[in-house]
Amino acid sequence: MQRIINYSFLFLAFAVTLVSCNLEQEIDINLPDYESRYVVECYLEPGQPFSLLLTQTASYFDPFPSTNAEFLDDILVDGATVTIAHGGQTFTLQNGLFFNPLSRKAYNYLAPDLVPTDYEQSFELNIVTPDGKTITATTRILRPVPIDSIVVEFLEDDTLARVLTYFKDIPNEQNYFRRMFHEHSLDSIPLQDFATDDRFVEDNFVFGSAYNFAAGDTVFNTIFHIDRPYYDFFNSVQTAASSNGNPFGQPSPIISNLQGTANVIGIFTGLTYERVMTIVER
Amino acid sequence: MPTTFCLNLPFIYPIQLLVMIFRHFVEFYPPYKPFLRYQAEQIMNMKPPYFSIALLLMLQYAAFGQQQFTVSGVVRDGENGETLIGASILALPSEIGTTTNEYGFYSLSLPEADTVILEFSYVGFQPIRKVISLKANTKVDMEMGSGVQLEEVVVKANAYREQLKSTEMSVETISPREAKLLPVAFGESDILKILQLKPGIPSGAEGTTGLFVRGGGSDQNLIVLDEATVYNPNHLFGFFSTFNSDAVKDLKLYKGGFPAQYGGRLSSVIDVRLKEGNNKQFSGSGGLGLISSRLTLEGPIQRNKSSFIVSGRRTYVDLFTRMVNRANEGVEDYSPIPDYYFYDLNTKLNFELGEKDRLYLSGYFGRDVFGFDGDFFDFNFDWGNATGTVRWNHVFNAKLFANTTLTYSDYQYNIENKLTGFSFNLGSNIRDANLKTDFFYALNNKHTLRFGGNATYHEFTVGRLKAGSDDGSVSFSAGNDYDGVEAGAYISDDWVASDKLKVNMGLRFSGFFNDGQSYFGVEPRVAANYSMTERVSLKASYARMYQYLHLVANAGVALPTDVWYPSTAAIKPQRSDQVALGVSWLLGKDYFLEVETYYKDLKNQLEFVDGAEIFANDKLENEFAIGKGYGYGLEVGIEKNEGRLTGWIGYTLALTRRGDFKPIDDLERFSDTGYFSPVYDRRHDLSIVGIYEISRKLAVSATFVYGSGDLRWLPGGRFTFQDVYGGGFQVVTPDYLERNTYRLPAYHRLDLGLIIRFFPKWGESDLTINVINAYDRRNTFFIYLEPIFREETDGQNTIEVPERIAAKQVSLFPILPSVTWNFKF
Repeated sequence: MQRIINYSFLFLAFAVTLVSCNLEQEIDINLPDYESRYVVECYLEPGQPFSLLLTQTASYFDPFPSTNAEFLDDILVDGATVTIAHGGQTFTLQNGLFFNPLSRKAYNYLAPDLVPTDYEQSFELNIVTPDGKTITATTRILRPVPIDSIVVEFLEDDTLARVLTYFKDIPNEQNYFRRMFHEHSLDSIPLQDFATDDRFVEDNFVFGSAYNFAAGDTVFNTIFHIDRPYYDFFNSVQTAASSNGNPFGQPSPIISNLQGTANVIGIFTGLTYERVMTIVER
Repeated sequence: MPTTFCLNLPFIYPIQLLVMIFRHFVEFYPPYKPFLRYQAEQIMNMKPPYFSIALLLMLQYAAFGQQQFTVSGVVRDGENGETLIGASILALPSEIGTTTNEYGFYSLSLPEADTVILEFSYVGFQPIRKVISLKANTKVDMEMGSGVQLEEVVVKANAYREQLKSTEMSVETISPREAKLLPVAFGESDILKILQLKPGIPSGAEGTTGLFVRGGGSDQNLIVLDEATVYNPNHLFGFFSTFNSDAVKDLKLYKGGFPAQYGGRLSSVIDVRLKEGNNKQFSGSGGLGLISSRLTLEGPIQRNKSSFIVSGRRTYVDLFTRMVNRANEGVEDYSPIPDYYFYDLNTKLNFELGEKDRLYLSGYFGRDVFGFDGDFFDFNFDWGNATGTVRWNHVFNAKLFANTTLTYSDYQYNIENKLTGFSFNLGSNIRDANLKTDFFYALNNKHTLRFGGNATYHEFTVGRLKAGSDDGSVSFSAGNDYDGVEAGAYISDDWVASDKLKVNMGLRFSGFFNDGQSYFGVEPRVAANYSMTERVSLKASYARMYQYLHLVANAGVALPTDVWYPSTAAIKPQRSDQVALGVSWLLGKDYFLEVETYYKDLKNQLEFVDGAEIFANDKLENEFAIGKGYGYGLEVGIEKNEGRLTGWIGYTLALTRRGDFKPIDDLERFSDTGYFSPVYDRRHDLSIVGIYEISRKLAVSATFVYGSGDLRWLPGGRFTFQDVYGGGFQVVTPDYLERNTYRLPAYHRLDLGLIIRFFPKWGESDLTINVINAYDRRNTFFIYLEPIFREETDGQNTIEVPERIAAKQVSLFPILPSVTWNFKF
């Protein structure tokens, strides 16, 4: 659907361009007072340490701090008590600033213990914020769904190919997936990144690319098996980001799975995925 | 008798009505007269309180003892034989009057007289007086003189007289003349956009045809074209309406005080009637504009008996864009411009089958077509309406007229995208077949009854999706089919209670049946007019409406993918109750002032839940939240429709709120639990519209509009979203809180028009020059928010650091001149 909206938008943009002469200008906007909220991002990936990012929101039009240090100071929330309970054990996450050089992600709460590969029992998050408010959430880790095959198809008499990714839906249950597709490396901006459910799919999923790849190119296909709260959260973040003044879109508030007395948005979820690297060959 | 009625109105009214029907029955069936006398004797022997009721019955009868006869007929335009809607007929010296109905028919009961003067008047025509002797029921058909006589533009017609006396309130009309003379963007004359200039009808996004009548949603307007429902009256996202002004004869919009014959939408009824075709001589008209051309041909099939009209228009921007694409073929990095065009075709045939019968066949077909071919894809998107009407008018006798209509209406959209090896097809559809019949019964000069009924069969296909690979290894499908029957029956009486008081009382019963689920509604309608003086009338009305179909529309502009959805077990019909009070005042000879205030209460309103998925969703109704709404306001309109200078000034002060929304599905959520303003909650709305006929050859027109800005839902806060490994890092992710808290800057615009007429031997033509947005105001079409980054050097790397967020306003039109050449032969 996004494609249709984009086309509509494209056409409208074209129509506007036809008659445009300085039709765009910057304006001042005064919004009602905004109360800062906590933001939690915590993904439990089996085999990785328990890690969590606790930040806070800012008023939309506030200027950004001038240095990176000030920026981090502004958004990071330190001094909270963060624990994750699982199977009778409680893991306490220590406050600090931790950087994972592989994933290039930073966290300000971390426990050295590794997240167990347990698809049965739930994980419970408990946070007491510096101002004494609570944040709680519960999640489970879903089993990863294997990628059946990656098919590279060249057009006849052409040097460019497309890449098709096949995998099987799990029958008789409602499933949600996130698909990521990268070219060259995982640090690049993904060519495709979206979440979908399985309501149209009878048994086989297939995701395809455009005819953009030459022999020797490297692509990464990733299929995350996600739960409904993460699906809602991810989609709401994407909708919020893309509905920014688009007359064809409807904004979405962030849909999160966190409770407690604190004013909070964010996500606490398990993270399992299947990732395949493919070198395009004729 | 009138005094008795005023004192005992609620109690007496039904009795009086029964008596009159009874009396009429006796009058038409004289053998029953002895029986009536017997009844009278029986009544005299009754004991109180039956006696008093019976006495009253007798008094009623006695009061009608004076011999009355009926004058009836059809009023037409003498030049082309078109029936005239709302022409005024006044009998002198009794000053009893009426107006022609939607079919040009009138019926007037008058006391026996040697001489009665009938005065026929209609805006733009010289009034005609005809003297008749009234000794029996008499048929008087009238052909009014030729159209606007430009040499002596001042054409007197006492058009306000009936408006002042009528119980109708909250009504706006647009004449084809206004549609033709007022300036519009690209010179594309558009009746819906002219409606937006009337008080109480704010528009949607700039340049679009959306109507938000008295705080109602854009889906709450019943739009009928020759009695067939038009589900999507828009071309190109609402920038143009589906109504080709060349083919339209009359447009009437009710924003309150709804007559009982209308039902099915909460906020307005827009009744569009197409021309019937010239039954005197073959003629044509058309125009060449910047983006489209129009052609209308009409003429008699059999002179004075039958006629046809065919009217079409098509845009041709696609011809130019294709040329541009061809010229750039092979140019590196050139992205072809997608193809877009729309077209409309209206046709109508009408046949006089005899003295008493007339048959009409009319049809509309329109499509928007959008196509975009790339190297590896072929994207096609088309949408449009088709309607068909078969209508039969029958005059039973001088008092009883019937109209029976069978209509078919279809709205659909189809999106097709073919990629190499894959295809994707998404579509929705609503189809209706409707049979309705309406009776007009001019019982006497005090009562005009209307009654009738209709049944509509609806068929819906919602979100039909088919997608898959050519080899069949992968296939998706989704979509639901529904059907439903909507039915209504009504009766109303336009009652002249006294010299000063007129009351229209109506009752409509409606129902909807869908998959074992049924809903019923009782919709009382009352409107009253009290003439304080010859020049001042007080008006009041109350109307309840039910709406059984709901539009699944996204916020923002009208998308062709907005689909209609039936009431189901979970989605109850929408309901509104509206009261309006008003005063109409004839000022001087030419000015008519109307002031109205209203309160509207809305139940079972629909909004989408947060993050709703509305495309190809098999469980669409889980994406809705159900809530309430209300609105109130004050409208002031002053108009002048005679003389060299015509026009109006309209001002609206209004407020509307929606709230208390609860998702149907427990898993979903709706972020605002209280009441909020919808985007179209516009506090002030002013329009000034003027047309000045300088001479036979020259006319100028101008419109000025001023409105409070619409509301927008902007984020209150922002946060940094880190995401998982591989995902994008977003420094600025908006945090949306309460809806619609930001009001856009006020909207104002001046449009000018100049019409230069030529009179060549073959007919008539004109050059219409329009300047839209004459003082080049930058009104907001939409705003977007953009983070501004600055570059910083960190050793050898240059990185972008966010500095601030800028709000950018995008406008749709700068000053926009256009020229259209119109012709008529």
